[in-house]
Amino acid sequence: MSRIGYLLRDAFQNMRRNVLVVAGAILAIFISLALAFGALVLNEVVRVNTLLWQEGEHVVVFLKDIDDGISDADHRSLMGEIQGWEEVSSVRYVDKAEAWEEFQTIFADSPSLLDISDQSIVPASLRIRLSEIERYRDIEFRLDGQPAVRKIVSPGEVIERLSDLNSVLNRLAVGLAVVQGSAAVVLIANTIRLAIYARREEVAVMRLVGASNWFIRIPFLLEGMIEGLVGAVLAVLAVYVGQRSMSSIDINIVQLNLPEGFFLRWSVVFVLFGAGAGLMGSALGLRRYLRA
Amino acid sequence: MIRVENVTKVYDGGAVALRDVTVEIPKGQFVFLVGASGSGKSTLIRLVLREEEVTRGRIWVAGKDITKLPNWRIPDLRRSVGTVFQDFKLLPNKTVAENVAFALEVLGHPRAVVRSQVSQVIDLVGLSGKEDRYPRQLSGGEQQRVSVARAFVNRPPILLADEPTGNLDPKTSVGIMRLLDRINRTGTTVLMATHDHAIVDAMRRRVVALDGGRVSQDILVGRYEDTMAQPKADLSTEEVAPERGSDPFDEPAAEAEEAAVESGDDGK
Repeated sequence: MSRIGYLLRDAFQNMRRNVLVVAGAILAIFISLALAFGALVLNEVVRVNTLLWQEGEHVVVFLKDIDDGISDADHRSLMGEIQGWEEVSSVRYVDKAEAWEEFQTIFADSPSLLDISDQSIVPASLRIRLSEIERYRDIEFRLDGQPAVRKIVSPGEVIERLSDLNSVLNRLAVGLAVVQGSAAVVLIANTIRLAIYARREEVAVMRLVGASNWFIRIPFLLEGMIEGLVGAVLAVLAVYVGQRSMSSIDINIVQLNLPEGFFLRWSVVFVLFGAGAGLMGSALGLRRYLRA
Repeated sequence: MIRVENVTKVYDGGAVALRDVTVEIPKGQFVFLVGASGSGKSTLIRLVLREEEVTRGRIWVAGKDITKLPNWRIPDLRRSVGTVFQDFKLLPNKTVAENVAFALEVLGHPRAVVRSQVSQVIDLVGLSGKEDRYPRQLSGGEQQRVSVARAFVNRPPILLADEPTGNLDPKTSVGIMRLLDRINRTGTTVLMATHDHAIVDAMRRRVVALDGGRVSQDILVGRYEDTMAQPKADLSTEEVAPERGSDPFDEPAAEAEEAAVESGDDGK
């Protein structure tokens, strides 16, 4: 126990001696992890929003009505046909009455518009959910020729773009994490080199009196690990604050809240990663100088 | 205690430091290692500490063949060998007590043990009351006492001293030699490299002379000049007990000082 205390004290004394260098290493870890973590959070926001779109009704088919010679029965039979398609998970029929209610809700703020409108101007429609969003084009293609179809509206293209953005962000986040992470490891290795240099007399005496190699190395390893840990904790805090202040902005169309547990889970991962990167950096710094 | 057997050391680059050197030092003996600069004294000491590896031959320390020691066992060797150097090697930002304690702390000894051992050994080297001074506040002789204290604090069976009086004036040197003599009397084997004539002459101990990397003289009770003249006698296997109970500097202290002054500080 006193040994661990001694080694820890030693590590902190080291760090006090080179405050500026240590601050630099912590900052490097902080920046790299904050960038990577930030990209990850952004990525998650995009993913969540894509999912929200996807969970909505993907294809809306407005139908011709009795004026065009299409009956309710035709509507029903088209619905039955669509239900049979494998990429369709569900179909909901919205008749003229229901559509009119919807119309009234949407334009509740424009009574003049409502005054001049009535149920006859809103068409009935079929609201389709897909099991595979990517196949909205097939659906459109097949519906296009149907006699009962007046107009097809699909947010599929927007969804597709969001998916693309998502995968680009994914790659960007991974790339950033790798480049910045290795830069931080190298920086910590340099910090440890400097720490060894600053303590070369002490290290020489330690070797002279027969201190074990691990006893000499552990304070340096601890130093690197603490630097990585502190940098990671700061990065997590910064991203947390940033995300909170962003989600407090009220934007209707984009959901900025993250799913429960997402942040905590990844915080732990990043803090561990920071400590690991610090440990790796100091091992790298120690490698040549303190061979056994 | 130390057995050097047919040791040859060639440094990278081809410089030959030792050629087929054989020396045996029994437990409890006090041995001077003399010779001109470059004769191989320091190399021999570095080999015994495993700071360098032999090119050929064997070295046994405390019954172990250290030429075959794996790297991770080297700390064990160094714990059984205390070392004192010409330049003291004290840490300037630590006090006397902290410098001595450092040697025990880095071996992982508990604090209570460290404290009592340190105060004992500081007492032994005559620095009681100066525990909280920093090295820069001490004279050269006092600094060397601190370094002796550090070397001896974990009571190693062997003490190596590489020109411990090299930076000190003759009078101060006598003090350090008294200290090493006292440590030797506790049963510690002492091997001291030096070219201080006065000290070798006054101590009357075994003298091993190196010349160009070879043992040129090995005299049981020697004077420095003897190493220049007499033929080599093989004493390596004899058990030698140092004269006990007498302080070589006791009575002729003034004389030794004079002799030291006479011999000058040329260090040859």
